[in-house]
Amino acid sequence: MGIRITCSALIAAMVACSRLAAAPAIAADADPINAPPTAQDWQALAKLPDWSGVWTPVISDQAAQEKSNPPPWQPRIAKQIAHMVAEEEAGRPFPIIDHCFPTGMPSWMLITHNAFEILFTPGRITILGEGDGNRLRRIYTDGRPHPADPDPSFHGHSIGHWEQGTLVVDTVALLPQAYLAVSEAVGVPNNGDMHIVERLHLLGPDTLADDLQITANKVLSKPWRTTRKYYRQRARKYDIAEGVCEQGSFSDAVDKNGNSIFAPIKFHNGVPVGSDSK
Amino acid sequence: MKYASLIERSMAAVLVAVLGAAPLAVAHHSFAMYEPTKTLTFKCTVKDFQWTNPHTILWVLVQPPGGGEAQEWSLETTSPGVLTRAGWTRHSLKAGDRVSVTLSPLRDGSHGGSLNSVTLLDTGQTLVPSFGKEQPGLK
Repeated sequence: MGIRITCSALIAAMVACSRLAAAPAIAADADPINAPPTAQDWQALAKLPDWSGVWTPVISDQAAQEKSNPPPWQPRIAKQIAHMVAEEEAGRPFPIIDHCFPTGMPSWMLITHNAFEILFTPGRITILGEGDGNRLRRIYTDGRPHPADPDPSFHGHSIGHWEQGTLVVDTVALLPQAYLAVSEAVGVPNNGDMHIVERLHLLGPDTLADDLQITANKVLSKPWRTTRKYYRQRARKYDIAEGVCEQGSFSDAVDKNGNSIFAPIKFHNGVPVGSDSK
Repeated sequence: MKYASLIERSMAAVLVAVLGAAPLAVAHHSFAMYEPTKTLTFKCTVKDFQWTNPHTILWVLVQPPGGGEAQEWSLETTSPGVLTRAGWTRHSLKAGDRVSVTLSPLRDGSHGGSLNSVTLLDTGQTLVPSFGKEQPGLK
């Protein structure tokens, strides 16, 4: 009896093992997995350029390029842009980022006033931004292609690879509503089918450049090439701070039960005009 | 005298009623609605110092010249992260502090502005919001 049980158990175990052995092969074809990184994968990161620290945008260069290298807008878009510029100069800025959605791509890299950091892990690079709670780029460097039918998102689907010390990033699947902006008050939604190729590389020991080529056939007459620069900071006071944009629409308050709550701020024409705070 | 005349001027401007105020989530925005070429300076009392992203807000109560109910002004400036690097903390200002503020006012005359500097009257300490220099390796 004991022998029978043992044999039955052995057979069952063999069947289970054969299924387990077969499972990864089936999964690799139909449903890829993220393989656990090896020691070699972690060691390989040490050969990459050192992009540690916090990167702050060169805002003066953003402003200069807004004038010296504007996007090649299609004529009908150029009229909208000219109107926005006039409105901004008149003190009626167009609310590109008022809604607290992520600034998104490529506008984050183009117009941000806030810092970001770049994290290297096996098979992936992650860019985390400051200023709102949704600034997050995942750039897959494990050799995967773009999905056949990716869900559109504010930051799109990004794959990257290294060419010497340059990270080449290819981004698709951006929401048509994601702005192509040259300032916080001037820009238009890309309206769909935008494709971004970036080449990120060090210009000097502590200066990072992002050379962007933006193809947005719904709003641009030809691909737009532009560069943005960022300076490295290592002082700990530059460590990235949590930023939840929506929090700025509320004040601290205490309700009738003594609980700490957020009380909505009253806004008028986009600016705070009253609060029910403590 | 200087403060008094500025307050009178600003109070006249802010007689424009604030209509249609609604609790919309519009915290993040350009600062072009503020008039950078104009400066107002007046003394007031801190109601609250809101240390939030994307913009911090200094809420102050301004006593109109000649008496009457204090008027609330919102003075916006940059983010906590940027202010931290300029030497501010969330405790830099607190409710009840008597301050002198300098601001670029809203173009439409509403009770608001972009904060240029704030001086604590009790200590004389002046705080200035600033992005700081543009260079790597800042201390």
